[in-house]
Amino acid sequence: MKKPQNKGVKISLKKGLKESILKTIKDMLHNECFDAVLMPMQVPAKDSYAWVLIKDKKILEEANPIAPVMPVQGAKALSSFSRKGETSLNIAALMKPCEIRAAIELSKLNQINLRNITLISYDCPGALPLSDYTDNPDNSEKKFKTIIDKLNFHDDSVKPVCQMCDEFSLIPDCDLHFGFSHNQENFMLLIPQSKRGEQIIKTMDMKASQDVSEWNKFIQEKRKKRQNKRNERFKKLKNMVEGFDTLMDTFSDCIGCHNCRSACPVCYCRQCYFDSETVIPDSDVLLLKAKKRGGISFPLDRIMFHVGRMSHMSLSCVSCGLCSDACPVSIPVAEIFSYVADNTQKDFEYKSGENKEESVPLMTFRLEEVKGIKKLVENAEG
Amino acid sequence: MSMKIGVYICECGPNIAENIDIDRVIDDISNSEQYKERELIIKRYKLLCSNEGKEYLEQEIKENELTHLVVAACSPRDHDTTFINICKKTKLNPYLYKMVNIREQCAWIIPDKKKATDKAIKYIKSAINRVLHQSVLIEKQIDSNPNVLVVGGGITGLETALSLASEQRKVYLIEREAQLGGKTAHFKKLLSRQGDKSSIIEEKIAGVEENKNIEIFTESKLENAVGFLGNFEITIRNINNNQSVQERTVGAIIVATGYTLMSAKKLKQYAYSEKDNVFTALEIEDMLKKDGKILLRSGNEPKSVGLIHCVGREERGYCSRICCSYLLKIINYLREQSDKISIKDFYKDLCLPHKHDQEFFEQIKEQNVDFIRYDDIAIKRNHISYTEVGGSKKESDVDMVILAPAMIPAKGTEELSELLNIQLHETKFFQEAHQQLNPVATSIEGIYIAGGCHGPKGITESLFQAKAVSGKIETQLIPGEKIIPEVKVSEIIEDFCMGCQTCMDVCCYGAITYDPERAVCSVNEAICRGCGNCAGSCPSGAIRAKHFTADQLYEEVNEAIR
Amino acid sequence: MDQVLTIKKNAEAGIIDFLKFLLQKDEIGGVFTLRNISKQGKYDYGLITDPELLKDAIPLHPLMPVNGGKMLSNFSVVDEKIAAVIKPCELRSFIELVKRSQGKLENFLLISYTCGGCFGFKHSVDNNIDEMLPDYWKVVAKGTDYKDIRETCKACEYFIPINADITVSVAGEKDLNSISRLYLHSEQAKRMAEGFEGDISDEEFDRSQYEHIINKRKEFKVKLFDQIKIKDTGLDGMIDVFGKCIGCHACSRVCPICYCILCDFESSTYDYDSDMMQTELSRKGGVRLPPDTVLYQLGRLSHMSFSCIGCGQCTEVCPADIPVSVIFRKIGEKVAEIFDYVPGRNVEEEVPVTIFKEEEFTSLGED
Repeated sequence: MKKPQNKGVKISLKKGLKESILKTIKDMLHNECFDAVLMPMQVPAKDSYAWVLIKDKKILEEANPIAPVMPVQGAKALSSFSRKGETSLNIAALMKPCEIRAAIELSKLNQINLRNITLISYDCPGALPLSDYTDNPDNSEKKFKTIIDKLNFHDDSVKPVCQMCDEFSLIPDCDLHFGFSHNQENFMLLIPQSKRGEQIIKTMDMKASQDVSEWNKFIQEKRKKRQNKRNERFKKLKNMVEGFDTLMDTFSDCIGCHNCRSACPVCYCRQCYFDSETVIPDSDVLLLKAKKRGGISFPLDRIMFHVGRMSHMSLSCVSCGLCSDACPVSIPVAEIFSYVADNTQKDFEYKSGENKEESVPLMTFRLEEVKGIKKLVENAEG
Repeated sequence: MSMKIGVYICECGPNIAENIDIDRVIDDISNSEQYKERELIIKRYKLLCSNEGKEYLEQEIKENELTHLVVAACSPRDHDTTFINICKKTKLNPYLYKMVNIREQCAWIIPDKKKATDKAIKYIKSAINRVLHQSVLIEKQIDSNPNVLVVGGGITGLETALSLASEQRKVYLIEREAQLGGKTAHFKKLLSRQGDKSSIIEEKIAGVEENKNIEIFTESKLENAVGFLGNFEITIRNINNNQSVQERTVGAIIVATGYTLMSAKKLKQYAYSEKDNVFTALEIEDMLKKDGKILLRSGNEPKSVGLIHCVGREERGYCSRICCSYLLKIINYLREQSDKISIKDFYKDLCLPHKHDQEFFEQIKEQNVDFIRYDDIAIKRNHISYTEVGGSKKESDVDMVILAPAMIPAKGTEELSELLNIQLHETKFFQEAHQQLNPVATSIEGIYIAGGCHGPKGITESLFQAKAVSGKIETQLIPGEKIIPEVKVSEIIEDFCMGCQTCMDVCCYGAITYDPERAVCSVNEAICRGCGNCAGSCPSGAIRAKHFTADQLYEEVNEAIR
Repeated sequence: MDQVLTIKKNAEAGIIDFLKFLLQKDEIGGVFTLRNISKQGKYDYGLITDPELLKDAIPLHPLMPVNGGKMLSNFSVVDEKIAAVIKPCELRSFIELVKRSQGKLENFLLISYTCGGCFGFKHSVDNNIDEMLPDYWKVVAKGTDYKDIRETCKACEYFIPINADITVSVAGEKDLNSISRLYLHSEQAKRMAEGFEGDISDEEFDRSQYEHIINKRKEFKVKLFDQIKIKDTGLDGMIDVFGKCIGCHACSRVCPICYCILCDFESSTYDYDSDMMQTELSRKGGVRLPPDTVLYQLGRLSHMSFSCIGCGQCTEVCPADIPVSVIFRKIGEKVAEIFDYVPGRNVEEEVPVTIFKEEEFTSLGED
């Protein structure tokens, strides 16, 4: 998160937060700032939410900009639209900060073409765990409404990764941002962050003249609290991850379904390397291996899969938490991967999702940069 | 296809036979459970590389209708080609063959005969298992164009063009200026060891202009070059007339785009403006060529001249090699002009590598020149502040300052490197394939570099490189001969490719392209050199390295560690 | 005529003894069964080759981390036989895989049992199965269903193994705690048992004794089917029921019948050009992204539903809590009925989609 340099547009909250955001988006659609907007909508059976790319203003009225759950990562939805081919369609995507960051990472990996996409975000209080929501949608709606009404950014009914997320507000490469966490005088801020954002403000005949420092102060306070929680949690996670035996214990419930990978926005591979022919051994080899050790587990290589996935994607992990939502045996995958990602990203002085122009170090790193490996090599040689 | 594998163990005289129990090897492998269902022949022979041995092997392959071959003998460095050629003769696909070294890696290094034999058995079995998973790969032959493109009409480009041009080989020479000659054309005189006269460059220009096998494009630039060794499609655009575009096909491209001098004004120690009497050596040469004399801007002769070596050397991180020599030449000019001019030569180190340089230096030393070795130096217009080595801070005012700035790559080098996909060194000069073993080649086969664009050097070394390039092309691009591109290349399984372009990021040869319509990448097999970087980098495992597939490697290693 | 091997130990211990005997005698190269893998009571499927390590085996443990039949397809070519202790549904899955050349029956000594059902993932995560076990066995011995087993299990009328070499009597076996009764069906089972310490006598395995359990299970199945808003034919209800599907495809990944290395719906065939969205957008005013949620379900239904044996892994693994197993069984059974097909019943019975002719079943279109 960076300190906002621009001023924001003052937008009244008289009609309520959800309605005010919807109206602003509707007006933008009307003014042809973009041709369609990607937003969450409740599914027909009203038991979950889905992403819908909306062109029709009537449909837009049913959308919910701040959905209580995130069953599908917004960046994944974006890449299903934008990966292949060129389009003249201009769209906007109103998503959580972690989804914006994932979209930026995916654009570096050539899975999303951001040229025609306006990225819009907002101050995110977090999302409820998917299984909690599907268990009791009505209750969850009520619970989340209270969170939004009270602007409670520290509620402990949201996902664990949300509770410790310190990137819940302004993202540097996001075009527009709705800031409302302070809600002092019943208004919210629409903060432009890029030329595209500024152009939209201009087209809408709005003026970004409102000072953002009060709001920013609030954000920094909340951020500090979240960071404390993050550090605390990381201390505990360290003990769940360090050492191979510990890792095996932590993942002992794993059934090798690879759901975490399917839900992860960064994991874009059509066929995961760990599902490929390369790693699936012949049956006589299996028997041989079993004889050497006295026995082997099925499904095969469950820990290898996790460690491999960590090394392939931790540099781009945005801690969105979908992996934990998807895990059928409630392993805290998101928290574990967040902890590892924090460490690997620090090693390369890289922050995922922050800068469109910076390549993912996985593609461009030099050996000297990898301090950890350097140490390993030194230890081995010494 | 039904597989019949032949395994031949060479005794290599006593070299292998004495320390490996070959009979046991044959016994073990013949009776191995693994090969029970296979058609496998295993035999021994005295000396497979001898003429009789080669005939024997050839006959064995033909009579037994072998489809796969393993030869256990000495190092592949010695005889891999020998056996590959036998395969080619007998039509056994050379990619279904493998050679195993049981001499250097078993017989010669393990004193215990039993242990050596155990290892040999393991090696041979590993090779058999690998070969049984190898696939037929067919070498292609493609027509090649013997013509060449030379980019740059300086002394290096001219020399290269003259060396290569012939009836069977046309040379296209591109130069962005209106006249040929490059930097050398600026010099009124050369060093005595270079022949003293500057006519060398006029001769070369005349030679090129008269040669009917060389087509010259002045005031032009290389707009595009697509292809690979033997087949580059190039586009040449006239700089003045934008509409004028010419296309040609060549088999090789030589980049001889030369250098330029660093702007000393960029360094904070050199504070001066265009109005001051501070000149670079090149400006002095121009002045000499035009006016015949070295004069101040006012038109008067300078009474004192300060020459400064190593301008920008520390910042650039390298010595430019020729400056000490040419500054001596300039001092000589000054002395020829007048023996009254006070000359101070400020040097950091002296680089005088050629046979005659020391002699020249001694001559100059006799001519009343103040040689000052400095630790650090700065100028403010004509005022020089310096610290002499071992001494204290000093100041000196001179009428004229002559600078020897670092040689840097010519403007346009970065764009050219991107266009041709050839790499740049840290210093932004072009990067050679290997400093010692391949100094004029680049990472792209068929594209060469020579002269100042490769790094600071003088006329002498530039001419060496021009001849080196010519030699390389004469042997690699023979008119009428076809080219056989590498066959052990990578291939992308498009069903699994997501077009993330990670493979493109790690390909040094520009062999992978991205199709935005289908959002997948594909390998150009003619350019691919089979390094395998892409196969290793693909997160999905969607790239296969032919002849080094996971299966093949797995079979080999699995057997070895059994 | 079957034989029955009676061992004077509780059912699980008896099986373990028998397996140890087989391993030590080199009749088999390994044992595929559930086993304990850590002190925290975690478990998984293992291929055990060391007879001593059989002490960790828990062959009858009422849990199914993955479909064991799916795991057996990993063994396409082996020199030695493997004894596999799997549930009846897992066995049926394996039969379906064998029909599709994804496994070889001759590699195995298949041991199954009359199944009292198993617990869902939730219980293994909460780690409270051990405390429920004593009661569970009591209930199973009586031939009834324990309250906390999976609904899929309560609806399963195929809990009696078909195609097994050996059937262990568990459900309704009143002496479960003290006697192991292993019914030896095949010649290889009988031959391998020779020399084992225990009573062997001729006795046909009586399938008729389970009628009351079968009926109860069928009743529950009908109840579950009725709860699904999708009718067994037509598209009504598909969008409502699968609306919350997130397209993770976990259901197909854990499904034993879904063996494809790259699912068609994950291949580039279903990639959309951003241009294609434009048309949909103009027509409908809104497009759900990622697209084709229901199409995927329809596709999977048409590809494998008639082979669905109701193991329930799909429901267990679904992050959106969709009762996939019940839906697929409901629709699958209806389709299979039309072909007189019962999945997992007979390895010679060919997969319907591979054998029907154009002229057949034209009446389907009229519905």
